[in-house]
Amino acid sequence: MIDNPVMPERYIMHVDMDAFFASIEQRDFPQYRGRPVVVGAQPGHRGVVATCSYEARVFGIRSAMPISEAYRRCAHAVYLRPDMARYAAVSKQVMALLNGISPLVEPVSIDEAYVDISGLEKLIGGPEEIGRRAKAAIQSGVRLTASVGIGPNRLIAKLASEIRKPNGLTVVFPQAVRAFLAPLPVSRLGGVGPKTLAVLERLGIFTVKQLQAVPLERLQYDLGKKSALRLHQQAWGLSSDVVDIRETRKSISKEHTFGEDTCENAVLCDRLRRLAAEVGYIARQKRLQGIVVTLKIRLKGFETHTRQCRLEQPTSSDRMIFQTAWSLYEESGYAGRAVRLIGVGLSGWDIERYRQLGLFAEIRDRQREQSLYAVLDKAAERFGKGMLRLGYCEEKGRRDS
Amino acid sequence: MRFSLPRDALLGPLQIVQGVVERRQTIPILANILLTSEDSVLSITATDMEVELNAQTSLEDGKDGAITVPARKLIEICRTAPANARIEFSSSGSRATILSGRSRFVLTTLPAVDYPSSDSFDEVATICLEQNALRRLIELTGFAMANQDVRYYLNGLLLELSASGLRAVATDGHRLAFAECPMETRMGDGVHQAIVPRKGVLELMRILSTGKEEVELALSAHAIQARFPSMRFTSKLIDGRYPDYVGVIPDPEMCDKMVFVSRELLRQSLTRAAILANEKHRAVRLVLGPDGLRIIAKNPEQEEAEEQLEARYIGEPLEVGFNASYLIEAIGAVPAETVQIYFTEASSSCLIRPEGRADCQYVVMPMRL
Repeated sequence: MIDNPVMPERYIMHVDMDAFFASIEQRDFPQYRGRPVVVGAQPGHRGVVATCSYEARVFGIRSAMPISEAYRRCAHAVYLRPDMARYAAVSKQVMALLNGISPLVEPVSIDEAYVDISGLEKLIGGPEEIGRRAKAAIQSGVRLTASVGIGPNRLIAKLASEIRKPNGLTVVFPQAVRAFLAPLPVSRLGGVGPKTLAVLERLGIFTVKQLQAVPLERLQYDLGKKSALRLHQQAWGLSSDVVDIRETRKSISKEHTFGEDTCENAVLCDRLRRLAAEVGYIARQKRLQGIVVTLKIRLKGFETHTRQCRLEQPTSSDRMIFQTAWSLYEESGYAGRAVRLIGVGLSGWDIERYRQLGLFAEIRDRQREQSLYAVLDKAAERFGKGMLRLGYCEEKGRRDS
Repeated sequence: MRFSLPRDALLGPLQIVQGVVERRQTIPILANILLTSEDSVLSITATDMEVELNAQTSLEDGKDGAITVPARKLIEICRTAPANARIEFSSSGSRATILSGRSRFVLTTLPAVDYPSSDSFDEVATICLEQNALRRLIELTGFAMANQDVRYYLNGLLLELSASGLRAVATDGHRLAFAECPMETRMGDGVHQAIVPRKGVLELMRILSTGKEEVELALSAHAIQARFPSMRFTSKLIDGRYPDYVGVIPDPEMCDKMVFVSRELLRQSLTRAAILANEKHRAVRLVLGPDGLRIIAKNPEQEEAEEQLEARYIGEPLEVGFNASYLIEAIGAVPAETVQIYFTEASSSCLIRPEGRADCQYVVMPMRL
């Protein structure tokens, strides 16, 4: 083998925990083992499936499916409400175990992480050995299984981890990338939802191999510049190989499903304000300031929409997040329609390192608001979240005190 | 109405007013211009409801009247007509006919009474000054205006008329530009402030000459007018209170650090260093000390630029970060070979002046690095 110290082979590992929430429940409660387990909303109420065990998937139950639909398919399953605190603790353990293999771990969600395993050949062994090592560490550490994919970049690693599930291990070497991608259905690629899929199918594109044959310009004509480029790059196996350990969380969001559909402004407004306060609280805890506010709204009949707005200045202020989300709602064109679920998110983190200072007093205002939130957050820690919130003047919708 | 004119005599005034013709036609008549012929004077008016431009030209013959016609089409017709052509315009009913040589155009018109004319102008203050002086004030400050800021009152230029003269101030909240033109104003103790919207400033700049001809500036409570011999510019003012700009200009007496540096050298060094600054923040670090001035830039790819400049620095060593674009724009506007920059600390603004003068001043807030 030729030793090339300048351009060592890049290997990225994607670790995806199998049916994470459901597996933890089955691990902790032996009576659930071997039975279909559905973690999510309570049947008879509204909401969706968060995770379900592989036994439940046999009945066609999937993540994000309305709970009523899941219940219709399998009434005898074990229905559990999620216990996020417990899952988060396990997640932390898993990330720590991965950290023992390579320090470059980027958790992308509670049950998924990318790990940069380049250059570990001499220490541990080839990529396959590292993958086995990771799975064994997770198995012995938390008694759970994970599916692992390894490839030259993030895209290939992720697709590889999906190939054999549960408890799979797939390594795609750089020279095998094209052959690996070719037979995959295009729906596996990122950014391909129902709309894009319909366009592609109309063009007679079902597999990645067929997608590779289409010139970029042709795709751009039908799909728009950005999404076509993204798709084209994926078809050729191009993607980032950077594992970012700095900021792990891409966004903070909170949502709420109403007991029954509502179109009342007062109810929506109040709920959005609470959600904004929760998002603001988490952001401040994590010392993050976001510049993009996202409103999510699900109407009657599961019709889901999102709206985004880029702010002038990054924020973690409850008030700013709420006001932005509320104006997104008002301008969404859905105001007045019956709403099933509403949610708000904050993303686009400001790199705190650079901060342009301002000339005028509003900077001082913002500092005052920040110290106000510091008091509020402290109170939340002592008395529980939501016990103390900012007061609002009803008619003006402005902060009162 | 009816008139006839050489092509150039009509095209000149049309090109003056065309800038304000509304492109996004929310109100159809705003895509038109108003033509009024009265007492052998043809008056052409365009407005976007915020800025109104009016230009006049004298007529030899014709029939008085007023009508509005589609602006772009009329301008294109005149522009593409042969240089020596004569344009004959006549309107009746809802049609206007334009004859030029062997060409004939028929345009639809809208009645003049429907054209949104500017409200009556109750002037509260006026001054006369040379066009180049007003032009200079705008050139020295206009670049610092905010653009589409939520603080709407920053999206314009502050003109302040007082006994000592006329001042112009612009700021986007991060940097500020100030210039003044001392003159007799008969203002007494009163101070009159007017925030001219960005678009008005740009249009005014377009029609100001570089010569010594005079322009009369008139202010009312809600509008400003600039009156020229055969043109009139009117703009609504931004209704809002301009922030206290005097309070944010540092007092040089209170600054214990100061650097003298060649304007051109500094501008070039900043421009070069900024190549490797973070594209979004454009942050550069200034290191000031007995050896002069060092400018350092780094980007997320860890590439680096470093510039060493000869400069006379007085004070304790200082390291301070700035958005390079703000410095480059401010320094670029300074009308002197040598700039004088005052500092106090890394988290406070710096004051940039032409050496030994205070008639134009720039304040830039630093970046925390």
